Formats: sequence, C-alpha cells, structure tokens
Amino acid sequence: MDIKEVLEEIFRDVFEDESIELTEETTAEDIEDWDSLTHIQLIVDIEKKFNVKFTTQEINGLKNVGEFISLVESKLA
Amino acid sequence: MLNEWIKELKNIDITEYTEVLKCAKKCAKYAEKEKISDLKIAVLGDYSIQFFVMVLRMLLLKYGIKACIYEGEYNGINMDVLNDDSEFYRFSPEITIILSDYRSLRELPMLLSDPEVVNSWVDNQVKNFVNLWEKIQEKLPGCYIMQANLVVPYEREIGNLEANYYFSKQNVYKLLNMELLKKHEKYVTLVDMEYLAGYVGKRNWFDDSAYMLNKLGFSIKYIGLACDIFARQIIAAKGKIKKCLVLDLDNTLWGGVVGDDGYDGIQLDPNNAIGEAYLNFQRYVLRLKNRGVILAVCSKNDMETAKEPFEKNENMLLKLDDIASFIANWEDKAGNLEKIAKELNIGIDSLVFFDDNPAEREIVKMYQPDVWVVDVPEDPAEYVKQLNMESPFEWVQITKEDISRSSSYIENKKRDALEQSFTNYDEYLKALNMKGKVKEIASSDVERFSQLINKSNQFNLRTQRYSEVAIEEFRNDLNKKVLAITLEDKFSNYGIISCIILEKQGEKCFINTWLMSCRVLKRGVEFLAFEKILEVAKQWGCSHIVGEYIPTKKNMMVKNFYQELGFVPCMEVECDCSELYSYDCNNEFEKKYFIKGE
Repeated sequence: MDIKEVLEEIFRDVFEDESIELTEETTAEDIEDWDSLTHIQLIVDIEKKFNVKFTTQEINGLKNVGEFISLVESKLA
Repeated sequence: MLNEWIKELKNIDITEYTEVLKCAKKCAKYAEKEKISDLKIAVLGDYSIQFFVMVLRMLLLKYGIKACIYEGEYNGINMDVLNDDSEFYRFSPEITIILSDYRSLRELPMLLSDPEVVNSWVDNQVKNFVNLWEKIQEKLPGCYIMQANLVVPYEREIGNLEANYYFSKQNVYKLLNMELLKKHEKYVTLVDMEYLAGYVGKRNWFDDSAYMLNKLGFSIKYIGLACDIFARQIIAAKGKIKKCLVLDLDNTLWGGVVGDDGYDGIQLDPNNAIGEAYLNFQRYVLRLKNRGVILAVCSKNDMETAKEPFEKNENMLLKLDDIASFIANWEDKAGNLEKIAKELNIGIDSLVFFDDNPAEREIVKMYQPDVWVVDVPEDPAEYVKQLNMESPFEWVQITKEDISRSSSYIENKKRDALEQSFTNYDEYLKALNMKGKVKEIASSDVERFSQLINKSNQFNLRTQRYSEVAIEEFRNDLNKKVLAITLEDKFSNYGIISCIILEKQGEKCFINTWLMSCRVLKRGVEFLAFEKILEVAKQWGCSHIVGEYIPTKKNMMVKNFYQELGFVPCMEVECDCSELYSYDCNNEFEKKYFIKGE
C-alpha cells in the first residue's frame, strides 16, 4: 500500500478538492482550508483508515505530509 | 440542489462520524450561501463547540429546519450571559444550548467533608446555573434553554470507595445533576449527556488527548449521537413528534407465522429463549403504550387469523384492546400506513414503523419518506435495544392526557360501535352524555395547554406556537383571555382538548389562537367554544370578533371554519398568506350542540 496515495485520497475527500496533490513537503500553508478543525478531521480519518491511534505528542508534532507518512509507517511497522 | 441534498441526508448514519463530519462541513457551506433561517439558536460551551455547531446545523436540516446558529466563544458562557450587551443578546436566539463540563468546576469538596458541606457546595454550584438561566429568561423572555447535565468523569481517586462516601467525586457530580433536576424551571430542558456517555461507555466517551489538544469535550466519534439528542428535542419543541408505533406481527411480535403455525404454534413460550425475546419486546411496547404512544398493527395476514393470537394465545401480553388501529390484509404497507394515519386522525409523519422484513421497510422508506422506519435487527432479543436507541418518541413533556390517550383511542372504537347503532347523528351525540367546561386556565393547566399549542396541526386556525413561559404571560395580561375546554363523555374523560387565546384590540376581539384535538372532531365542541368567545367579546364591550386562518400544509380542514360559523370575510386582507374573517357580536349564534355545561 502506498501510504501517500491513501493520504492523498483522504485529503481530497476532507477538503473536497480533487486537484490536491501531496508531496512530503506539503504543509497547512499550502492548502487553504487546512485549519485546526480540518486537522482534527484528517487525524480522525487517517486513524480510522489505517486502524491506528496516534498519541498526543505525535499529533502535536505533525508539521507536513512527510511526517504524516512516516508516522503512519511507524505505526504499521 | 439543496433539497436533493437534504434527501440524501435522511440516510445518514449518525454513528459514522467521519461521514457525519463531512456532511456537516458541506452543510456549513450551504449555510453561508443561504440566508433563510427558520430558527435562531445559540450554543454556549465550556469546551470547543465548533464541531457541535456544524453537526447540529446539519442534523436540523435533515429534520427540515434551517437553523441560524450563534457560536459562543470557547469557555465563554458567563461572558455571553452575564454581560448585558453581549453578542449573544444581540443575536437574540429562540433557543439557547448550554454545554457544561465537569472540568470547568474547580475546588471540589475535600475528602472527608461532612454531608452538609457537600450539600452546600452543590447548592452553590447549582445557583450559578440557575443564575444563568434566570438572566437569559429576563433578557430574552420565552427563550427555550437546553442545559446539558454533567457527564460524571470516569476518574475515581479513591477507587471503589467512591460509591461508599457521600463526599466522593462521583457522588458530588451525581448530586449536582440531581439538584439540576430539582431546580430547573419550565423553560429549561435538561439534556442527558450523562446517559449518552454511560451508554457508549465513559472510557470511550472521554478522549483526553482530544481535550488536551483541541479542548473537545468528548470524543469526536459521538458527535452525531450527541447532537442528535439536541436536534430531536428541538424538533419536538417545534411540534414535530412521533405519536404512533405501527407493528408488524409475524416474527415481530411473535416467532413464526401465525397463518402457518396457528395461534398456539407461534413462538411465545416464556421458557424458550426466542419466546422470551418476543415477550420482552411486547413488554417494552406495552410500556410505550402506557406513556401515551398509540399502538397500531399493520400485517400481511387475514384479519381473523391475525387477531387470533391476541384473543386466544395466553402468552400474548398485548391484547386487542391495546391496539388502536388494526390492519391485516394483503395490500401494500405503504398504503396501509396511510389508512392507519387516517383512522387515528394523525399525520402520516407521526408514525413509526417496526417490521422485521427489510423488504417492507425499504418500500415504506421509498413511498412514505416521512414515516420513521426503525432499523430492526435480525435478532429479536435486540429489538428493545434498537428501538430504545433510536428513541423515536422524543416529546417535550409527558402529561396526564398522554397517559390516558391510548385508552381513549380504544374507547373510540366503542364509541364508533355506538354511533353505528344510531341512524341519526344528533341522537348519537345525545347518547354520548357529553359534559364540557370552558375555563380560564390555572397554573396547573399550563403544561398541557402548551403541549396542545405546540403539537396540534390539523384543527388549528393560526398554528402559533407558544412556550409555557409565554402562556404564563398571557394569563397575566388583562387584555388577553386564555381559555381551555375540557370534555368527558360516557366512555372517557379527555381532559383539556381545546385551546383558545383571545385578545382585546379596542373594539375588536381577536382570536389569537383556536385549536382542538382531532380526537373530538364533530362533537360540537367548537360551538360550545364559540358561545364562550362571544360572551367574552361582549364582556369586553367589543363590537366584532376577528378570526384569522393561516393556511399550512396540515390545517386544510379548518379552511372554511369561520364562514361555517357565520363569520364574513374581511375586505382588508393583509397578505396572500392569511384570510381574515369578522363576526358582528350582535348576531345571534344558533348552532346547536349536545354538550352539557357543568
């Protein structure tokens, strides 16, 4: 499973924007609607999709998509 | 476009939180564009309420209400309520939701505190709540307040001993909830978040990480369930309630098929697990009936076969007398539901359909979208849990008229039998030995009066909804008369079945409200009522009585009512959406009726 692809799907779904293309460097600055509310939604969707649970610190530390990917990878490992 | 989308919303599963959030966000976008609003609601909370507001708006839309919602600042309840010129008061909501949280109450009573100390702590806390309510009531008279009770935290510093000491944290919060119950005024409805949290489990309900990170009061997983309780209470306050449970028979009330197995072959054996499951469901249904839910049967069967278990199977708990409308035939159920609604004189949208057969449920969903279709599980042992969880019968209050309602529908059948023994309708009315009374309402009648005002749809000339507080104010207004009519007959005592509010406007006596319960149609109650209206108008020295008909989807039956009474249409029509009629007080009123006064 390509985690980035799945994340892209989730991002497109949450932001209702099919044109979103993620890179490891993508941050909240790059996506207009990415605020604290959608951030929670992203976390919830990702946790559900991969059936994982993030800790408070992990969520707190997420800065860009690359960190999302490596966090999910570490959980699935 | 929006309407299409609302249809889609009907099928949303409120436990699917990711779906719920997505829909809620979509809905927020619609809300920005659409300026129309049916209802102004304010949400104030001790925790972050952004999601709550979004989801509440979406669920209300699902139930047909476009709400405009004021979102209070995080932790800003006191700021909004206690400050006279706050944004909140400028918004002037019709409904205020207060989401309180245990974490905002600091300084609990110390361990080993005496019960008196604990009680006085609780009193003080509850005083703060009452202050907020009173302040809102003072600034926004008639505003309906929905106060979330406190979810008792899972934390137990002294472990199981918490259950043994009055001063324990667990008990202190429980006492606080109990005190809220004792102190809440009529304009405050408590919303049982503690029940919901217990139902899903406290360790699931509380998401400490989400609280630390985003100040979410509870896990986002339950946002749909929580908001739904509020949404349903709001639509009930708006008069949209379910009144009747329509039940299938085979494999719903008993195991097996009565047409094949016979009335004594169906599974209802209390010593058998399956039989016990059906009996347990019947017991729950009976309790619903006792609280005022009307029961009906809709079954694909021959009438005679369908009734046999009720008459002859001694394990049956439900009896024929419990069923207000009984339909067994081979026609489609969507059509039969219409017949039931018609027979009971209630709207099709007040029916709840319970059938084990998924195909029947789909048909009803498709052809009767306003009927609440219970998602009946496969296992009959789970029937009660499902019906209880969906909780379709959310009402604003329970009155003694509710408790006796079911039986009065049954008595209707006896009345019908009596009617058929007369060829002359007047003779029948005389034989009913009706006694009626028109009275100015007392304090103790306000609850029932408000209930009728808020849920009568058909015989209702203006369909104005008033809260109990508003009705209290009318009572104290010298230029208004608030009248209720009670009726009893040979078979039952109906209690209050008609409400009238009159307004003195100089020479005119204006009928602000006139409605009647459909259970007593065609009995002459309206004539008795009008005589009283005429009497009041004359006492006030009015020359005319003015009545208004405001058409709605449901009150067609009274379209020509004023003309039939002898009113004449007024020339001065204010708009297309209402009709005004006038009655000269000097005219003799000569309709005859057969209700004795007291």
